[in-house]
Amino acid sequence: MATLVLDNGAYSAKIGFSQEKVRVIPNCQFRSKTSRLKTFTANQLDEIKDPSGLFYILPFQRGYLVNWDVQRKVWDHLFGKEMFKVDFADTSVIITEPYFNFSSIQESMNEILFEEYQFQSVLRTNAGSLSAHHFFSSRPSELCCLLVDGGFSFTHIIPYCRSKKMKEGIRRVNVGGKLLTNHLKEIISYRQLHVMDETHVINQVKEDVCYVSQQFFKDMEISQMKGEENTVVRDYVLPDFSSIKKGFCKPREEMVFSGKYKTGEQILRLANERFAVPEMLFHPSDIGIQEMGIPEAIVHSIQSLPEEMHAHFFQNIVLTGGNLLFPGFRERLEAELRALAPAHLPVSVLQPDNPICYPWEGGKLLAHSPDYDEIVVTREDFEENGHFICEEKFDI
Amino acid sequence: MVLEKKSSARVEADSRRRVLDEATRQRRLSRQLEALEKDNFQVRIAVPWILHQLSMTTPLSSLPPPGPTARLPTFSETEEPEKKRRKTRGDHFKQRFRKNFTTLLEEENLSDRAEPNYLSAEALPSSLPPRLFCCVCGFPSHYTCTTCGGRYCSSKCLLTHRETRCLKWTL
Repeated sequence: MATLVLDNGAYSAKIGFSQEKVRVIPNCQFRSKTSRLKTFTANQLDEIKDPSGLFYILPFQRGYLVNWDVQRKVWDHLFGKEMFKVDFADTSVIITEPYFNFSSIQESMNEILFEEYQFQSVLRTNAGSLSAHHFFSSRPSELCCLLVDGGFSFTHIIPYCRSKKMKEGIRRVNVGGKLLTNHLKEIISYRQLHVMDETHVINQVKEDVCYVSQQFFKDMEISQMKGEENTVVRDYVLPDFSSIKKGFCKPREEMVFSGKYKTGEQILRLANERFAVPEMLFHPSDIGIQEMGIPEAIVHSIQSLPEEMHAHFFQNIVLTGGNLLFPGFRERLEAELRALAPAHLPVSVLQPDNPICYPWEGGKLLAHSPDYDEIVVTREDFEENGHFICEEKFDI
Repeated sequence: MVLEKKSSARVEADSRRRVLDEATRQRRLSRQLEALEKDNFQVRIAVPWILHQLSMTTPLSSLPPPGPTARLPTFSETEEPEKKRRKTRGDHFKQRFRKNFTTLLEEENLSDRAEPNYLSAEALPSSLPPRLFCCVCGFPSHYTCTTCGGRYCSSKCLLTHRETRCLKWTL
């Protein structure tokens, strides 16, 4: 029997059979300006030649699955003959959900997986539990770990002790990749060029130029300087989707500090935007979100847990999720935590090589573990006992 | 007549200026934050004219009109029962789950639950004072616009702010 691992994120789905490699695919549908009659599903995004003004249809709202029609279309595409050719009667699926998922969403998930698709067996879990499984199987001597899961909709802090989720320690900071992209879009539109419709392009800008500052106010001063002295400023060449397919940063030696470029490209000049945008992960109050930043929330989470575990948590902080990929994030978080944590406790923040697929890899390991059959719910089980058995077995 | 004209121009200008109260400022802020959660800036891609026409002509087409007749069970043996069941199921799901996040959150009644849940997991307000940035250029700011409470860093930025965003939210 095959096992399909699906880390069903609000922006991208990480999917693959447990024997094979993972693929990262947009978990949404698109409409483009050029071919208006067609809706593009998931990786059909690559077929769109001109993705300017791309329109998103997302199945998730604030991190929770609400639009089942869209989700079903994406899943139909993923499971279907174009992609994974899933033989449902002979396939077990590991699927992830957000923390504290609503019970009504959990029930519809059960029904769709067992009754619509008719999977042979299902394991519903959190991405964090898969990450924790990955962590504990690569470091069997560790007792606890604290996951920081930065996604599209929000950032979660989840403590695990011996692969058990400590629910009372979970914290959510409502800053995710969508908010950062939208904020960047907004300030660019106000300061230089109207790009409010260009979420797709600006998301790429964010991934290409944004970084986490190690000395925020020092960088603010540098980015205020003029000419060559300003080592922060970058000129970003926007794609026009005919000759320039993908935007890029102008190399520093080609930058013109005063006056205009002679080449006709469209340029965005980014200075304090580069680090002020990711800064919201550390200080959500910068834009008026009355919440702690990630370092403060980590300390708050650890302090709510039994004292004898504190040392273990501070030593095993693991960063997962695509929104924490900003250069400098790990270093800055470690430095801030060092300042906040009790002086006698060592602090270490670990970022795996591929934080986006870290949970998926954990799911892969779990699928090959000997007691996998014990933790799943089979279709017969579900038909016999209904939602009750899922509630019993799954720890959401 | 001469006496009536005596009041100073500055005082008069001040009294004419609208000053937003705290509640309005808060509402503006929450509207800004709400906007940051949007998936797309435009509400939806305009439906092309041809689609519109299509939808207008459906009653005349050969397709059976959607309505109670479509829901009646049919007992023809020729059709695959498996396929049909899946289809009705789908409709059922559509009706049952056409809810948005806020409705779902309300239905869960989380506020009176003791165990950790979505509401209790939200990070608390920070103990640090908020840092203030110019709403025009993004650099640290020292001054507050008296009218709307927005921040600015220099008289140049204040002018831009007054012309563009003060008392209106342009984007």
